[in-house]
Amino acid sequence: MSPRLARTGWSLLAWSLILLVAGPLLWMVATSLKSEDEVFSLEPTLLPVEPTLEHYAVLLTETAFPAYFANSVVIATATTTVVVVLAVLGAFSLARFRYRGREAIASAVLLCYMLPSVVLIIPLYLLMVRLGLANTIASLVIAYTSFALPYALWLLRTFMAAVPVEIEQAALIDGASRMGAFFDVLLPQVLPGIISTALFTFILAWNEFLFALVLVNADDVRPLTTGVMTMLVSGFNIEWSLLMAASVMMSVPLIIILAFLQGHLVRGFGAGAVKG
Amino acid sequence: MRPALHHLGDRSLGPLLIAPVVLVLGTVIAYPLFAAIALSAFAVDTPTLRSRFVGLGNYAELLGADGRFWPALGVTLVWTAATLALQIVIGVAMALLLNRDLWLRSLARSLVLFPYFVSTVVAVLVWRWLFNDMFGLANQLLMKIGVIAAPLDWLGTMPSALLSVIVVGAWKFFPFVVIAVLARLQTIPESLYDAARLDGAGAWSRFRDVTLPQIGEVLGIVVLLRAIWDFKEFDLVYLLTGGGPVDATRTLPLIVYQEAFGLNRMGMAAAYAVAMMITMLGFFLLYRLAVRGRT
Repeated sequence: MSPRLARTGWSLLAWSLILLVAGPLLWMVATSLKSEDEVFSLEPTLLPVEPTLEHYAVLLTETAFPAYFANSVVIATATTTVVVVLAVLGAFSLARFRYRGREAIASAVLLCYMLPSVVLIIPLYLLMVRLGLANTIASLVIAYTSFALPYALWLLRTFMAAVPVEIEQAALIDGASRMGAFFDVLLPQVLPGIISTALFTFILAWNEFLFALVLVNADDVRPLTTGVMTMLVSGFNIEWSLLMAASVMMSVPLIIILAFLQGHLVRGFGAGAVKG
Repeated sequence: MRPALHHLGDRSLGPLLIAPVVLVLGTVIAYPLFAAIALSAFAVDTPTLRSRFVGLGNYAELLGADGRFWPALGVTLVWTAATLALQIVIGVAMALLLNRDLWLRSLARSLVLFPYFVSTVVAVLVWRWLFNDMFGLANQLLMKIGVIAAPLDWLGTMPSALLSVIVVGAWKFFPFVVIAVLARLQTIPESLYDAARLDGAGAWSRFRDVTLPQIGEVLGIVVLLRAIWDFKEFDLVYLLTGGGPVDATRTLPLIVYQEAFGLNRMGMAAAYAVAMMITMLGFFLLYRLAVRGRT
């Protein structure tokens, strides 16, 4: 078999599998563009016959979707900011300093990463009620830190450990302080790692469901995940085309990240998630 | 600021930098963890939060004849083992495929990641629409090609409900295996394959004798991580079937949620959560033992 023919064969196989994997998501987009009559038809069409944006218009003007979206943006951005700042400093400490308890902290962080959220959810719920934070955006940002911070810390520590210590030592010899060398020398070196970490944290927070389900019960603070599910159960007739439009809109940040910053995501996997 | 920090030296600067992390994780993880263990010794009514000490009573009940721990553990293990096996097989196969020279390879690689990063809510909505009894694509396609005669209630009957959850789980999480394995595959030197070819090794024996040992270590970690994550998965199962029909797909995390916020028994929920954690720890130690035994 000639190499060219083999390449064609493998490519066809790979692409048919990828279309199968992406199929449900393509179906989501197709459904969101179909008219109601076409969605509820016993003769399904693959592509919309007359594509329409009416469901998107309804979604953005007649539902609470824009409010949910705004909440999700605030929650995910705040979580990412808090987690990245804490994790950058913490990872610097774990990667570059020697002190008693350092290894214990590192292992504890790894253990935290494995902990089921359902174990923490009940005491966290009680804590938020006691602090008067139930039904606030802050409660979600605090709760999301519980799963995002261990992960971010682990990821950044791996990135920092990969940078040779010598460059910082040179800066120290030139009279820089530890923090000065950190900001001027190490930080620029691990910038790609910080971007990866920020993207991962943002996606984790954007997609989170369980904490939002338990901690927040009002439309003005509800994020997209629980908000869209409320739209599913509240309607008498399930409007699938509207829900598919909501799903597409909800995935927009992700599509942008995957389209333009995919390399950063893959690097995040290589560094922290797998090599541990 | 800077000179002051400089004078602190390594001795206190290191701990100082990690202090905020320790403080935050103490509040959102360590405290809740111990609080959950403590809570499991009480009977707590969720709306009023009135509580009564019951010692190990909750555990006795959940492990007893009327408790739901053992059946739920069974469901959890079936779900974890089946979806994990599918994830690994599909993931490794896809990674091998994507490691080849293909048309538009980088586009193919990023499309494969999509199910993993998309929100579980989105994934579940799409699949529930596909599984819709009247207008879902699954029923319509299968009826058209004559596999089924009447529409199937995919998520409302057994065994199709459990099967659906397992398949959707495999679809959602296999890309994790792909990325991890693919990263490792790219570092295997081509010379190893050339040497095997010279020895007359076929495609299968090249996979078994060269590829598999090389990706073995990564695969071990991937299996461990995914097993833990699948075992404690809440969103996907809860959103897809809600644990139904009756309790047929109710895994342990769903029981915890249901006890706490459906049946309003917070202490019992905490006991289920702790029992689940101990089970996970047990499996983890077994895994460590098995791995150590082999090497």
